[in-house]
Amino acid sequence: MALPKKTSLAILTFGVMTAGLGYAPGPPWLRLRETVLTQVLHFGPEAAPPAPVAAPSPASAAPESRRVLARTPLEQRDARQILDPAGIMSHFYESLARTERKEPRAVTQVLHYGDSPVTADSITADARAILQQRFGDAGHGFVLMAKPWAWYGHRGVGLRGSGWRIAAATQSRAKDGFHGLGGVSFEGGVGASSTISLPDNRHTGMEVQFLQQPGGGAFHLEGNAGPIGDVSTDGETEAPGFASFGLPSGTGRVTLSVTAGTVRLFGWSFEKKGPGVIYHSLGLNGAQVQAVLWYFNAGQWTIELRHMHPDLVVINYGTNESVFPEYIERQYPGELRKLIERVKTALPESSVLVMSPMDRGERDSSGDIVTMPILPRIVDIQRKVAVDEGCAFFDTFDAMGGAGTMARWYESQPRMVSADFTHPLPGGAALVGRLLDDALMRGYARFRAGTIGVQ
Amino acid sequence: MILSSPGYLAFLVAVYLLFWLCRANRLACLGLILLANYFFYAKWSLVYLGIIPVASSLDFCIAIALERAKHPFVRRALVTASVFMNIVLIASARYVPLLLGLAGAATHAGWTLPLSLSFYGFQAMTYTIDVYRRDARATRSLLAYLATVSFFPTTLAGPITRPAALLPQWEKNRSLAPEEGGRALFLIGVGLMKKFLIADYLAEHLINRVFDLPKLYSGSEVLVGVYAYAFQIYYDFSGYTDIALGSALLLGIRLPVNFNQPYLAENIADFWRRWHISLSNWLRDYLYFSLPGKRTRAMPYLNLIVTFAIGGIWHGANWNFGVWGLIHGVGLAVTRGWQAVRGKKKPSANLALRTMRILAAFHFVVLSWIFFRASSIATARDILSQIFSGTVEWSNITPEFVVVFSFAVAGHYIPKRWYERSQQAFVAVPFYAQAAALVLLALAIQYVAGTGAAPFIYSKF
Repeated sequence: MALPKKTSLAILTFGVMTAGLGYAPGPPWLRLRETVLTQVLHFGPEAAPPAPVAAPSPASAAPESRRVLARTPLEQRDARQILDPAGIMSHFYESLARTERKEPRAVTQVLHYGDSPVTADSITADARAILQQRFGDAGHGFVLMAKPWAWYGHRGVGLRGSGWRIAAATQSRAKDGFHGLGGVSFEGGVGASSTISLPDNRHTGMEVQFLQQPGGGAFHLEGNAGPIGDVSTDGETEAPGFASFGLPSGTGRVTLSVTAGTVRLFGWSFEKKGPGVIYHSLGLNGAQVQAVLWYFNAGQWTIELRHMHPDLVVINYGTNESVFPEYIERQYPGELRKLIERVKTALPESSVLVMSPMDRGERDSSGDIVTMPILPRIVDIQRKVAVDEGCAFFDTFDAMGGAGTMARWYESQPRMVSADFTHPLPGGAALVGRLLDDALMRGYARFRAGTIGVQ
Repeated sequence: MILSSPGYLAFLVAVYLLFWLCRANRLACLGLILLANYFFYAKWSLVYLGIIPVASSLDFCIAIALERAKHPFVRRALVTASVFMNIVLIASARYVPLLLGLAGAATHAGWTLPLSLSFYGFQAMTYTIDVYRRDARATRSLLAYLATVSFFPTTLAGPITRPAALLPQWEKNRSLAPEEGGRALFLIGVGLMKKFLIADYLAEHLINRVFDLPKLYSGSEVLVGVYAYAFQIYYDFSGYTDIALGSALLLGIRLPVNFNQPYLAENIADFWRRWHISLSNWLRDYLYFSLPGKRTRAMPYLNLIVTFAIGGIWHGANWNFGVWGLIHGVGLAVTRGWQAVRGKKKPSANLALRTMRILAAFHFVVLSWIFFRASSIATARDILSQIFSGTVEWSNITPEFVVVFSFAVAGHYIPKRWYERSQQAFVAVPFYAQAAALVLLALAIQYVAGTGAAPFIYSKF
């Protein structure tokens, strides 16, 4: 027998020691996991690459993992539908119906507040595209004056800005809390400018949102099809200012330049002749309920919300809160309630929809990607608060497949979520956008059938 | 079955025991290796059992025919048939789905082979081309050829081993010296450590995120992610190679060395003498030397660019790989031109100047890795724009990441003799100490990595 003695003994000893470590009692760090040992004896075929993930139906939703806290459902629910016991979505559906009937100037507006995925117009871009395809395109909507983060962007929109002092409600913050509708203030003197390239050249009107203030400077708007107008931001008191203009035919690019003094701007909005849908994407990097509640000047925000008179406001936070489990249990429900009350007080006629965060994954000690334990708890709190406050609720987390979704998305080909198990890649964002749109359309269909509010 | 999985290691031990038990009988050994090779393929898909034996047998017959044929036209036709067949096999995994997609096929998932046949194809072509060039003799043993051309440790990602160099090793009837066995275990251990403790850790804790959505991270974080990727791909690929070399050595087979501290290269030509050496040798011997115009002034430079552009496209049907190949091709052509201008004058041995040359070559390679790793040209552009954005923020870089990254950098630049000394120390200790060291490594991998076994980067090429 020509078996190499020393090497064979080393291998044999290694095998005995690892097997012993797998089954003998001892401290946890000195134990090989059973999964490792069972892999040694696994000789089945290699796993094929996971197939792309399709929008799941509730029946196919994965069973909840052991990491997910037990939950008592408020009621039997279908994750693909919007929970709306108070029928608050009726206003939005009525507006959609007018838009669908092509009534003159019937424009349905949605304000979608969210965190980092929305900052990049993920999810919202797909929801916008689907709704506008069905009900008509009434314009791109609100865009910040420049990119506060490289990550900021809107699909089909080019944006360049220079010379601005940028204060975002989630980061450097303006001391007076005047962050505007989108949560970011842009202050600049002569030389500061921004240029926006629109997705097409069919927009017919635009509006600049700014701070009117004593001694405020002036700016000029120039389009590729000709001059648009000049605005002075000087005023007797500090107050939100709005300057609206018609756009020359064929305008696809607009440049704003500060011409005198110092101005403070919050964003610009672009519209087309209705009927149609405008879906404003209002994402803030790192946003939480707290950021809006504490750092948006309540008075200014109320005026701006009323000025926009949206038919639907979507409050889509929760991901960034998930790293603060103690805060979730102690303060989060109360702060979410206050935020909803603030929106409802400003917009008593509008529909308000609380949209839960997506699944968020992390590696557990064995290396598996699992749902962060606090995530389902956040969703539960949001659902309860939304129902208590008479809002509608969309359970993104359950609709996308519930616990373990990010693990499946990460392993699917092509991948649907980034390696941080939080931010969706284009395929994932499109899927969530479709899920939201699908839920809105189901609700709309029920509204048209006269069964809205019945769950 | 990836080479770092527990299943592979159990499979290797079984092959090792059976191989040495029947070592006295050459036919039994070759039969066992062939069986192991085909089992390895079958683990990925049974389809391979219909492809590999047929393709290998055809190449075996072509080689014998090449040796017998006298007429140049016949010889050229034979070698062309072999090259064509193997290129089809290489292209099948990544270009057939693309072509079917372009042709509007509704679905082509069934056409996608889970395991690329690139390294098999390279080795098979090497054999018939060598016989055609009369650089090697055709073997008369079908069993030996079949066992050699699909030798399982080289199946996933090389090193590309010339069958002409491997075939004689089966003939030797020798035993495995304790030193060789110790070296084999050491190589496998080091390979696992490189893969799990460094490459996968770096990828999981920054690189993958940065390359997925670069705009979410500051310029400083993206820059660190890009530097880290240079070390991730080195540790991943050289870790794989170490395991392959160690696996073969357990069976008494020596495979060619594939890496030699590549980031110590002083120029891009030097880099390719240190990085994926078996591929760069293959490209030189079988592609570059086959291109026309060797005696002209400009063509050798153009041929370098063409060679590396093809080498780039081989990595995948993606513009990124083409750009990566072009960057290296142009870099090599410029280096060669510069060397031609300088003549035989040697570069300065001054330490500062040498360090500058190493840093310049390293950054050139790092720039090219951005295109290699990014999912698209647009993502590569985003990465570059973030790096040059000047934004500084370190919140996504943890102290643990810094430790592992520093260890990775230090591990690459340590003097070779330190590595050799540690290898000698491992070889010299008793068997139970070797086993204990490997158990400690297994525990460390379990403790530190905890990220599952990601496939080796190069196993998809």
